[in-house]
Amino acid sequence: MKAWLKFSPRIVSKPVISDLIKDYDVTFNILRADITPKGGKMLIEISGSEAEEGIKYMEKEGIQLNPIKKVVKKDEDKCMDCGECYSLCPVEAITVDEKWNVELDDQKCIGCGFCTSSCPTKAIKIAY
Amino acid sequence: MKTIEEINQKIKDGDAVVVTAGEMTRIVQENGAGEAAKEVDVVTTGTFGAMCSSGAFFNFGHSDPPIKMSRTYLNGVEAYSGMAAVDAYLGAAQPHRNPDIGLDYGGAHLLEDLVRGKEVELVAEAFGTDCYPRTDVHTFISLESLNQAIMVNPRNCYQNYAVATNSTEETLYTYLGTLLPQMGNVSYSSAGELSPLLNDPYFQTIGVGTRIFLCGGQGYIMGEGTQHSTEGERKNGVPTGSAGTLMLQGDLKKMDSDYLRGATMPKYGPTLYVGAGIPIPILNEEIAQSTGISDQDITCKIYDYGVPRRSRPVIRETNYQELRTGKIEINGREVPTSALSSFKKALEIAEELKNWIEKGDFLLTNPVKKIPSEGCTVAPLMIKRPSIMVKDIKIKPVITVMAEEAISGVARKMVDNNINHLPVVDHSGRLMGIVTSWDIAHAVAKGCKKLTEVMTKKVIVALEDDPVEVIARRIDKNEISGVPIVDRENLVKGMITAEDISRLMCSQNNKEGDSQ
Repeated sequence: MKAWLKFSPRIVSKPVISDLIKDYDVTFNILRADITPKGGKMLIEISGSEAEEGIKYMEKEGIQLNPIKKVVKKDEDKCMDCGECYSLCPVEAITVDEKWNVELDDQKCIGCGFCTSSCPTKAIKIAY
Repeated sequence: MKTIEEINQKIKDGDAVVVTAGEMTRIVQENGAGEAAKEVDVVTTGTFGAMCSSGAFFNFGHSDPPIKMSRTYLNGVEAYSGMAAVDAYLGAAQPHRNPDIGLDYGGAHLLEDLVRGKEVELVAEAFGTDCYPRTDVHTFISLESLNQAIMVNPRNCYQNYAVATNSTEETLYTYLGTLLPQMGNVSYSSAGELSPLLNDPYFQTIGVGTRIFLCGGQGYIMGEGTQHSTEGERKNGVPTGSAGTLMLQGDLKKMDSDYLRGATMPKYGPTLYVGAGIPIPILNEEIAQSTGISDQDITCKIYDYGVPRRSRPVIRETNYQELRTGKIEINGREVPTSALSSFKKALEIAEELKNWIEKGDFLLTNPVKKIPSEGCTVAPLMIKRPSIMVKDIKIKPVITVMAEEAISGVARKMVDNNINHLPVVDHSGRLMGIVTSWDIAHAVAKGCKKLTEVMTKKVIVALEDDPVEVIARRIDKNEISGVPIVDRENLVKGMITAEDISRLMCSQNNKEGDSQ
């Protein structure tokens, strides 16, 4: 699953994530992070046999966890299937099929916004 | 050998064999050009890309009382109306007059709105004449209410085009889209083997008056486009760079928004996606061979757009087959590639044109005149009014002081010569520092006796062969009022002050006024 982790200033100095990885069987990937001494947030993807326990651990340590309900959508009327967005996607969530249609993978998308700001017809929208 | 008349007869009889440029490539590969020439009558091409050099002429009709429009805005986008009373030309790349909207809505978006049947606001101003007394207009118009709306695109359908990447540390926003830092991506634009002018690289059939598919309607080729060039490098018979261009026209009222789109290149500006398709009559084996060109045979070059000059360094050569895989190797690293023009739409256009011809709705034309296939080069813009150099301006005879001179003597020198700056020099005339009237006042107030205590030692200078505009910027940036002029040996040649520069600008303006 993908989720935003919210860190309060109180816990930024604790090595919660490294303890999580040491103690639980989880696959943990940081997609975006913006943490300062004043707290911050991190977009993560977590899976593995002990993912649920791992999430409970993080919550116990004071991290607020919000699973993301992000939708990346393409306005089919506006999209010209040019493919300008394709090379800008850092996680290969944009593909071009054999008929040269541009397709978006909502699951892979991390919501970075490169494609939305670069689309010549503003055909891509990300809703949170 | 076939003639266009014979092919048109076949079209009318429903017997013509029409294939797209992509299909023709496979036919020539399998059967050879000779067979293909016998078998195929027409090859249809297509392209759907960002073509900034586009726009349309409008005739609004006369109001009562009438107006001679001198400034004209459509949905806030300025159209050029320095023609007869109620004609205007709207350029696709024109941004909105309101800077907050700016690049997000421009001429291209307005054209799409009109084609979609939307009402748009017309605002016009005039100075008023005896025959055209009205001085302003504010109303709403639609494509239907215009007398004429004629698309005229000065430069479309570039034969081939540059491919872009960016070696710098910053993201660049260009007419070839967003370019990520450290060569993070590659952007290309040509429709490759479907592209019209790559299928007729020497303009054997495409000429003045050729009827074409233009944005969903029928349009015509007016002639070669601006910046048409024929002398660039070729490989496999086709140019490896932009080369030939076309000037196109068509009736906006007959167009379809599926094939005409207003777009904005981020931080670059509005541009129009134009859909164009050109039929190529297969008159002989040579033309069949040309239309057999494949993506693999079309070479293009990846340029570093991190260098913002007219000639950019080439990173490497590639071809459209490689680019279309979505990745390419640069310096041992795999880099994703993006197309800026829609290959899907280009295919649709070639298919649609093929349909029209097969149904007998579209007949081929003999060109009225050939488009030049040799002798055309594009000259750069030379800046004829060269920069004025520091050494060119009249400066007062050089007055300097020695480091050991007394403060009172320096003050006298300033008063006697009516100046505020004095370069301080050593015995051989080399610059040591600068002292201003303010420094002298400061010295008197603080009771300093030595000039070296009050002078500025780190001096900003001008060289004799610096352009004056560079010095003006230097003076402004450092918030100073003048700089000493020195030669390469640091020998003081004079002073240039903000006053000298303003005097120079005044005399320049007067000179220009006189010559007019």
